[in-house]
Amino acid sequence: MLSIIVCIKQVPDTQKAVFDPKTGAIDRKSTDNIMNPDDLHALEMALSIRDRYGARVTAITMGPPQADDVLSEAYALGADECVLVSDPRFAGSDSLITTRVLSRAILRLGAFDLVITGCEAIDGNTAHVGYQLSEFLSMPLITQIHEFMIDGNHAIIERLYGHEYQKIRVSLPLLLSMGKNSNRVRIPRLVDIKECGEKPISLMTLNDIGGEPGEYGAAGSPTVVIKTEIFSHTRGRAVLEGGIEEKVDAIVHMLKKQNILRF
Amino acid sequence: MDLSLSKSQLMIRKNMRKFASEVLDEWAGVLDRDSTPLPADVVREMGRLNIWGIQAPAEIGGAGLDTVSYSIVIEEISRVSAAVGLGVTVHNSVCLAPLLAFGTPEQIARYGPDLATGKKIGGFTVTEPQAGSDASSIQTRAVPDGDHYVLNGQKAFVTNGGVGDLFLVAASVDPAKKSKGIAIFIVEKSMEGFEVGKIEDMMGMRGNMVSELFFSNVIIPRENVLGRPEDGFRISMKTLDIGRIGIASQALGIGTAAYEAAATYAMERKQFDRPIGTFQAVSFMLADMKTHLDASRLLIYRAADLKDRGMPYSTESAMCKLYASSTAMQVCMQALQIFGGYGYVKDLPVERFFRDAKITEIYEGTSEVMKIIIGNDIIREFNRF
Ligand SMILES: Cc1cc2nc3c(=O)[nH]c(=O)nc-3n(C[C@H](O)[C@H](O)[C@H](O)COP(=O)(O)OP(=O)(O)OC[C@H]3O[C@@H](n4cnc5c(N)ncnc54)[C@H](O)[C@@H]3O)c2cc1C
Repeated sequence: MLSIIVCIKQVPDTQKAVFDPKTGAIDRKSTDNIMNPDDLHALEMALSIRDRYGARVTAITMGPPQADDVLSEAYALGADECVLVSDPRFAGSDSLITTRVLSRAILRLGAFDLVITGCEAIDGNTAHVGYQLSEFLSMPLITQIHEFMIDGNHAIIERLYGHEYQKIRVSLPLLLSMGKNSNRVRIPRLVDIKECGEKPISLMTLNDIGGEPGEYGAAGSPTVVIKTEIFSHTRGRAVLEGGIEEKVDAIVHMLKKQNILRF
Repeated sequence: MDLSLSKSQLMIRKNMRKFASEVLDEWAGVLDRDSTPLPADVVREMGRLNIWGIQAPAEIGGAGLDTVSYSIVIEEISRVSAAVGLGVTVHNSVCLAPLLAFGTPEQIARYGPDLATGKKIGGFTVTEPQAGSDASSIQTRAVPDGDHYVLNGQKAFVTNGGVGDLFLVAASVDPAKKSKGIAIFIVEKSMEGFEVGKIEDMMGMRGNMVSELFFSNVIIPRENVLGRPEDGFRISMKTLDIGRIGIASQALGIGTAAYEAAATYAMERKQFDRPIGTFQAVSFMLADMKTHLDASRLLIYRAADLKDRGMPYSTESAMCKLYASSTAMQVCMQALQIFGGYGYVKDLPVERFFRDAKITEIYEGTSEVMKIIIGNDIIREFNRF
């Protein structure tokens, strides 16, 4: 049976969030924590592969203890097993160190065929971890997946490639990165929502994944955040006058001026 | 005292909202316009999600949820389609719930799983052309005959009538005993002599196939009596206590939809160079709407919580239904006012909310009947002389 590992992250719902104008940080009280939207697509991908081929789906998250909420949600959606990787010594890890933690934890989980991640998280928007993970785990990374099939110990994948589709055959294990709109995430059954909070979540700490404390957390992280700024855009409204030709010219001119149209 | 929802209740709200917006939203207007029922594949999908067995135990295919969660499901569905909310609440709370509460193990094994998974849709029918608020005056007769009863009569305004497979039917087995002579029968649509009459052409709730039902010499096996034959009226009243929490939640859903539409519109619509929502006349309306809706919600959760804790909740259920339904009506009227002329045309759903809201003050006991129930309780408490 296929073994699939899905990496998920708990993030503040940035659509609702209020930012502190001085520090640029999110006011945590202003918003709820949710499962990162792209990660829902990653989990849906894993579940749909399981529906078709049979698989064991393990959801894994690195985060503080309360991140187990997203694992409960993963159980509600249908994950078979959930793992929380959590240790106070991981606090302050940047995307590189997060990848180190996740890769070491994943290797402790035993043999696997697929690792699936979301493309990016809506809090940091770095889109680093999935890509780095494929390096750390030395396996191919496939993005922009349109269709996925298993053929023995290979995957046959149709992916969006610029303006065309590319069909590829690639050996397992491999890493898939899922972006928004890549699939339609299922709605859990009410009974699974009711029962998800009671399912056991395994915990992995620094001691379980090995390594020295100095390799982790803020201490191990090369990234330094110098400043966070808040950007806001307001929608403008422009009413174009004249005949259709003039209006089209005006639109093209505006788009070029804003560097949206470049030819 | 903790008035916050549990993690699981919040997750239920989030996912039911997602279901309603992703699946029901495209149907809500169509069902209303054409007065047609939900397509079978949507009914099936609702079965997969446990929406036809919200509080039924997991062993028979339900979700086994508490009553606050139940209310949340009905509210979220009704926010998008009150007509679908009606079908769901009636099926769950006045058909499946009494079957589970008063049925024999054999009856539950026979009918429970199909109802809880939505393979069969259920209803509950007391009302007759001559018997509305005075439910004890029903004339449908069930005459005992050996190992069965022979059922004859006519029912009016049967929710799910046109689509249902199984109905709990109140009938008199002994007219001399009035309400003590009423029994509840489990009647299947497939039984000989069962006939669906006219589907009502209604002001609102047009997506529910509310209909007449006719029974002519329907043979009902004795094992299809729910509870004891003399307990039918008591079972009906207890059933309506549960049902009213559902109707109140439906009213809350309709009101909330109207309020949110109105608040959004009031901030977008400009007259005299400012959003109309910034005029005190409009913001005061919105303030009233929000406050009454929140009060409805709290009354509903109180009744639901009492029920879950096994405490008496009949009066509280009547209170939440009375308040939530009149709030829904008031809120829809104000929402329509805020939309001005646009509220009056069918391009927007506000006029549908308005039409749907009215019936919540009528079915499962009118507002006047709710006051009779609450008033009787007050009389019991204070009239000691
Ligand atoms: C869409 C819809 C769905 C329905 N679904 C069902 C269903 O599934 N099953 C079912 O059994 N029934 C159903 N009903 C029937 C509904 O429950 C009744 O319409 C309701 O109980 C009122 O009865 P009535 O219409 O005969 O009005 P009446 O009882 O005739 O009442 C008329 C008016 O008189 C008032 N009144 C009556 N008696 C008193 C009193 N003692 N004191 C003060 N005022 C009083 C009422 O409050 C009301 O204002 C449905 C009705 C509709 C419209």
